[in-house]
Amino acid sequence: MAEVNMEQLLNCALCPNMCRCECPALQATGREAVAPAGKGRLAALINEGKLNWDEAMLEAASYCLACRGCTIHCPFSELNLCDELLFSRMPARPQGVTLPQVDPYLNNLRKYSSPYGQKSDPVIKTNRPGERAGGEEVIFFNGCTSLANHPPSIEAAASVLLKAGVSFRMTEEDCCGYPALVWGDRELGRQLAEENKRKFAESGATLLVTNCPECWLTFSEYYPDLEQELSLEIIDGPSYFLRLIKEGRLELKEPDPGSSGELGAGVISYHDPCIWARTAGTISEPREILQAIPGLELNEAQPSGSLTRCCGGGSMFQLAFPDTAAAVASRRLKEFPSEAALVTACPFCREGLLQEDRPVLELVEILDRYFK
Amino acid sequence: MAQDMRTVLQESRVEQAVMDRYAAEAAKIVGENNISANQADLLSACRDYWPANSIWMREGVFPALPQLVAWPKTTAQVSKLLALANQEKIPVTPYGEGSGALGGVVPLRGGVTIDLKLMNKIRVLDERNLLVTVESGLNGALYEEELNRAGYTGGHFPQSLRCSSVGGWLACRAAGQFSTRYGKIEDMAVSLEAVLPDGTVFSGRKVPRTATGPRVDHLLLGSEGTLGIITSATLRIWPLPEKRHLASYTFEKLESGLEAIRLFMRAGTRPAVVRLYDGQETGNHFPELGDKRCALILLIEGNARLVDAEAEVIDDCVRSEGAESAGAEHVEHWLEKRFNIGVASMLFQKGAVLDTIEVTTNWHNAYTTYLAMQDALLGVEGTMLASGHYSHVYPEGAALYMTVVGFPGGDKISYYKKLWQTAMEACHKEGAAFSHHHGVGLHRGLWMTDEHGSGLEVLKKIKDALDPEGIMNPGKLGLEEVQLWQK
Ligand SMILES: Cc1cc2nc3c(=O)[nH]c(=O)nc-3n(C[C@H](O)[C@H](O)[C@H](O)COP(=O)(O)OP(=O)(O)OC[C@H]3O[C@@H](n4cnc5c(N)ncnc54)[C@H](O)[C@@H]3O)c2cc1C
Ligand code: SF4
Ligand code: SF4
Repeated sequence: MAEVNMEQLLNCALCPNMCRCECPALQATGREAVAPAGKGRLAALINEGKLNWDEAMLEAASYCLACRGCTIHCPFSELNLCDELLFSRMPARPQGVTLPQVDPYLNNLRKYSSPYGQKSDPVIKTNRPGERAGGEEVIFFNGCTSLANHPPSIEAAASVLLKAGVSFRMTEEDCCGYPALVWGDRELGRQLAEENKRKFAESGATLLVTNCPECWLTFSEYYPDLEQELSLEIIDGPSYFLRLIKEGRLELKEPDPGSSGELGAGVISYHDPCIWARTAGTISEPREILQAIPGLELNEAQPSGSLTRCCGGGSMFQLAFPDTAAAVASRRLKEFPSEAALVTACPFCREGLLQEDRPVLELVEILDRYFK
Repeated sequence: MAQDMRTVLQESRVEQAVMDRYAAEAAKIVGENNISANQADLLSACRDYWPANSIWMREGVFPALPQLVAWPKTTAQVSKLLALANQEKIPVTPYGEGSGALGGVVPLRGGVTIDLKLMNKIRVLDERNLLVTVESGLNGALYEEELNRAGYTGGHFPQSLRCSSVGGWLACRAAGQFSTRYGKIEDMAVSLEAVLPDGTVFSGRKVPRTATGPRVDHLLLGSEGTLGIITSATLRIWPLPEKRHLASYTFEKLESGLEAIRLFMRAGTRPAVVRLYDGQETGNHFPELGDKRCALILLIEGNARLVDAEAEVIDDCVRSEGAESAGAEHVEHWLEKRFNIGVASMLFQKGAVLDTIEVTTNWHNAYTTYLAMQDALLGVEGTMLASGHYSHVYPEGAALYMTVVGFPGGDKISYYKKLWQTAMEACHKEGAAFSHHHGVGLHRGLWMTDEHGSGLEVLKKIKDALDPEGIMNPGKLGLEEVQLWQK
């Protein structure tokens, strides 16, 4: 795994927290220790041997939702604080310092290759036998969170791909390894990466479409660090679906009667998942899809696009720190027009935003409804 | 397990049994999750952006540690926390966002640090009366963002906008970059709600002006946590400006620039931003202008017709002093870069010491104070650069903002103390006031007798009356001597 960049981490440790307004961890808790430069300072002092890991330090350094909100105002273009924190945390576990609440999830990950435990394999149900023959071009990777929490989005994705005539496979997924990395079990993360890389290679597919932004980030940014760089092209879900529309493989259809029920008057707001917006740069793609649908009116959150704010789901927070995750989500929910139904393109965001009565749909579900 | 921390300014600590008792009660007041005595929280709430803290951070030492941090969410909780601390004689340090530049949040005698960040709501937006009532822990940028959404501005843009709180502004008498039009924070503060050490909650009337005796709530303005805790404030707001006019000029001499500003302020114009840089800073901030001339940056905003008229008057005044127009692009550049202070981190990392010292002058000594302070700072061995600009102006004078960078060979703290000693002496000799907006904190306390004369005794009497047990932010504002931080 990449080394900590001490020069950049020290830049942060010595900064007066010029991005603190954008840090959801700080805004939800008020704790200086979890302010960006607060975390940066603790991590820098630990890396320099001036402080030691203990559970409170590890918790503070883990209080990062990996939203990269801090990069918006950061004067240091080479600084990626959430990665510096992630790399800094790696030595804690070998030193016997861990977050006890994540242990059950890590055990699940070791046993079932999913932090959520035994997978009920909805893939079998959705991926019709014909498409399991091998030799498919596309692997559609749903991610553990969809599998565990919201199988309808997987069914919707499979349905859309079938409509578009894509030769795809939904593998019996192993976790991408992100939770292991976030929680400091590098070896487990590496093993999962190796396993995924092997499966992808064996499949012969040339394109990996990821529905979950955190999987995308792990495949594209952390696998190379783990020396498991993938040889197939990796693309995010929204960009891929737009590609299918532009290629004429998906066309608008009259929605089935009653299917737009929860969308009410058709006013929707798209919540940009942080990773799609700030790391992948996927901002216009989902909007192009949504704006093409007659009867839907897109009303933006303030802020949105590259300035979007976290829903509380980043960095496995919903599992490790559920109360803070909920507090972050409720702050974000105030930033949407009050009458809008929400659409997003991330299983964690969907989960996080589902706090109120208002409907929250995934982009794939909208696609399935309005395209043939 | 607690780790051994070296502290350099810790004067004393409260007996642990007393703190444990307090923590147990505090947990009942704010909830178990809203207190902490873990090392990560104590180490993080012990410091602000005082450069001495950055020097110590590189050495792995801490100024002084609190023994508990509490995060109240309501005024009633603050009241209970304070009353209890008062009863137990536990020192209390209010904490906003820790952007203070002078060690104001360093808990010299341990005790409890009360972090206000969870008091972060806008309580009332009163559009008719152009007032907003806001809790003190709200972050500056989020405050402005929320006002903007409703079509208003708070008009307060310190460079620390994104890293400071409303309460910190009020407690330090902060100034924003747009202060010439909108005023300093004390000009925006119509009334404050505050809690005294004995738990008394009081607030002032939310009316434009009163003549019913001194405004006791305004006593808290600039009190830097030594008298009580500001829990909310009613501030003036403005509709978002209809028009913005940007202009920049250059002068051959700094004095001509100062004279030009004096003239347009005397004529009654109130541009929002007025910044006049010496040659060195002109070269640093606007390389295309070189370092031979002095740049003046202006931003005028508000009602479109008024803006046009002000721009015309100002143009006449500055040209009468030999200004050359340099266009709007330098102001745009400044607007874009005005919150970027990355260079400070890099310099500290490379072993440099950097600080900014802001003082207030009248027109008669605005230039001579600059010369005297620059001389003084450059005279300290190790100083590489001492430059200045005027950042806030008034009909009667201007704030002078000096920046100093040094690479001291030996002990950095000794060098740092020398810088301040000589700069403050020069400022005093010129008759300027010791601070325009950063406040006093711990460090400037050393010069408060020179600043206030017999007024300091009056201030001490007020402190004794409101805080007889002396629990509020001990050692700050020059109200008592701090043994470990002497000249
Ligand atoms: C990069 C940078 C740029 C800056 N630019 C400016 C500028 O342009 N203009 C300017 O005026 N200042 C500036 N400052 C200084 C600093 O931002 C201000 O002093 C600010 O007002 C401090 O706010 P804070 O919330 O960070 O307060 P803190 O640092 O947390 O506290 C400052 C003092 O106020 C007390 N305090 C805080 N909150 C309360 C409360 N609710 N009740 C009672 N006491 C309280 C604390 O005990 C402490 O003594 C700058 C600082 C930095 C680091
Ligand atoms: S991430 Fe950047 S802006 Fe934020 S505290 Fe660190 S250095 Fe400062
Ligand atoms: S990535 Fe997000 S949560 Fe992490 S420090 Fe930056 S702003 Fe805070």
